[in-house]
Amino acid sequence: MTAKATAAKVTSRAADLAVSGLTKVFGTTIAVDGITLRIASGELVALLGPSGCGKTTTLRMIAGLVEPTEGDVLIGGLRVTRTPVHRRNIGMLFQNYALFPHLSVAENVAFGLEMRGVSKAAIRPKVAAALALVQLGSFADRLPAALSGGQQQRVALARAIVIEPALLLLDEPLGALDRNLRESMQVEIRQIQKRLGITAVLVTHDQEEALTMADRVVIMNGGRLEQVGTPEEIYSRPRTRFVASFIGASNFLHGRVIGHDGSGLRIALTGGGEACMSHSDGETKEVLISVRPEAVSLAALEERAQHGGSGLPATVQQVVYRGQATHVHMTLDDGAPLLAFLPNRQGEKAKEDFSPGNRVWASWPSSSNWPVADG
Amino acid sequence: MGRLSGGGGLLTYVMATAGLVFILAPLVVVVALSFSQANIATFPPSGFTTSWYEAVLADDEFRQAFLTSVVLAFAATVASFALGLPAAYALDRWQVPGARAVETVLLSPFILPILITGLALLQFMAMLRMRDASTNLFIGHVLITLPYLVRTVTASLKQVDRSLEEAARTLGASPWRVFRRITAPQIAPGIAAGCLFAFMVSFDDFPISFWLSTAERMPLPIYLQNSMSKVFDPSIATMSTFTIVTGVLAVIGLEKLVGLRRAMNV
Repeated sequence: MTAKATAAKVTSRAADLAVSGLTKVFGTTIAVDGITLRIASGELVALLGPSGCGKTTTLRMIAGLVEPTEGDVLIGGLRVTRTPVHRRNIGMLFQNYALFPHLSVAENVAFGLEMRGVSKAAIRPKVAAALALVQLGSFADRLPAALSGGQQQRVALARAIVIEPALLLLDEPLGALDRNLRESMQVEIRQIQKRLGITAVLVTHDQEEALTMADRVVIMNGGRLEQVGTPEEIYSRPRTRFVASFIGASNFLHGRVIGHDGSGLRIALTGGGEACMSHSDGETKEVLISVRPEAVSLAALEERAQHGGSGLPATVQQVVYRGQATHVHMTLDDGAPLLAFLPNRQGEKAKEDFSPGNRVWASWPSSSNWPVADG
Repeated sequence: MGRLSGGGGLLTYVMATAGLVFILAPLVVVVALSFSQANIATFPPSGFTTSWYEAVLADDEFRQAFLTSVVLAFAATVASFALGLPAAYALDRWQVPGARAVETVLLSPFILPILITGLALLQFMAMLRMRDASTNLFIGHVLITLPYLVRTVTASLKQVDRSLEEAARTLGASPWRVFRRITAPQIAPGIAAGCLFAFMVSFDDFPISFWLSTAERMPLPIYLQNSMSKVFDPSIATMSTFTIVTGVLAVIGLEKLVGLRRAMNV
């Protein structure tokens, strides 16, 4: 940048987003089935789900690249359902970066400004500022093919934000990168998004990415919303069995309500043993309880009396050392699996006295019991 | 790439060499004959003279035929470009009902015997009382050159990464500007290759021109055939050399324009 050029800043004109009853039918397949969702200005929401759950189609309908069969998209309160893509003022990142191979890095970033009729003189400082923001200022004259994957996605990010979009859409943006780079890019994109206050929708099938980056996570399954909440809500209070098993690992225990006491419901577990649960949704007699493996601790069967809370007997099948934790795979007396993550403290390996064939008492605090719908 | 070895390798070398010999040797023979001092075209040539070139260049009919062929090939190429590019784009990108059928019809000159197509065209044009040979030749040539544009452009369009176009759309580019700024540069080599094929197919065409040309409007291949049936002297080889040189120039022009390697997708 020359000394004369006015120092440009990358700013944002973020807006809130609302979709209502959004539906897409391909032939006889319902890809997205009546999704209603509000995203506040400046919020980053992740659409998370297995492949084929409709998350990408939902994002593409928000972008305008796919026309909804039913429902509406509102950006900043304005209905844009029938507005063509190029008038929606959105920035989008693609899994394969989608940089224009015949244009230099600077020309790629300038493209959206050019389309908006911004003068050449005004474009230059804006492009420089956007490239500086993603720390690629010195790469302006290179062709995209000369950049690494991570650098290419940063150029794509600069290209998307330089137009001050109302909305930033991220379609599996880091899916093609290796693990370490992916993690640092997650942090970098999140920082820039927060700094500029851009409203963003991220599509991913990577639960860690969703938890790391998002203000709120939307779990999708079979074209529908399974649960919407903060990462903490989704992880600690999953609504359904699907959510509990999709985010992190979970044990599922069937049981029957046998009575009340001061602290809550008493439940007889089908695999033997008992559980207490203060959370309850009414008069259900049969319950499905989710217990996170990291809540489970193990003891010798004879010591069961010393361990309060909820618990039941189990047989160790396999012990796997995984660095941070040792994973103990067990079976219950009714044949159901049970998994415990035992943390490894530095210098000592956890509970090495458990080996396959051992009978153990698996227990956990009753506060770790969480009822889920069997969906 | 490593050297090929073993029986399969030997076979490959033999076939490649045979291919090159059969493609290039006849051209060398023709060019050599064009400098022969003999009065009939026999190989090997005897002596060296450029007198055939002087004679051919002084021949008004030859110059007229050559010019006719160049203008005709150029016009057919431009028309095929103008028709083929939008046709290929629509066939590939829009969900036009019956697109497959339309594509098959457009590409049918590839399959139908061109000599029969030419005869059918002659009868059809006679029926419509179309008597202007230039117009008839032009229409006939567009018919056989258009498939080359449609085919190469369709193939190139299929290779364009669609997310590039989607990215451009999200960045605010209207459909036309997406095509102009993003799609067109990606398919330019395919367009150029299609134009080269179209030009050479028209320039070299015999079966269509055979039916549609007249004594006043005669493309070079027809003129060559006529001359040959009168006398087979080295001037035929000289005229053929002009044809070869035109082809080479077209290829060089394409190389300068977009790079032949890209155009041929190698």
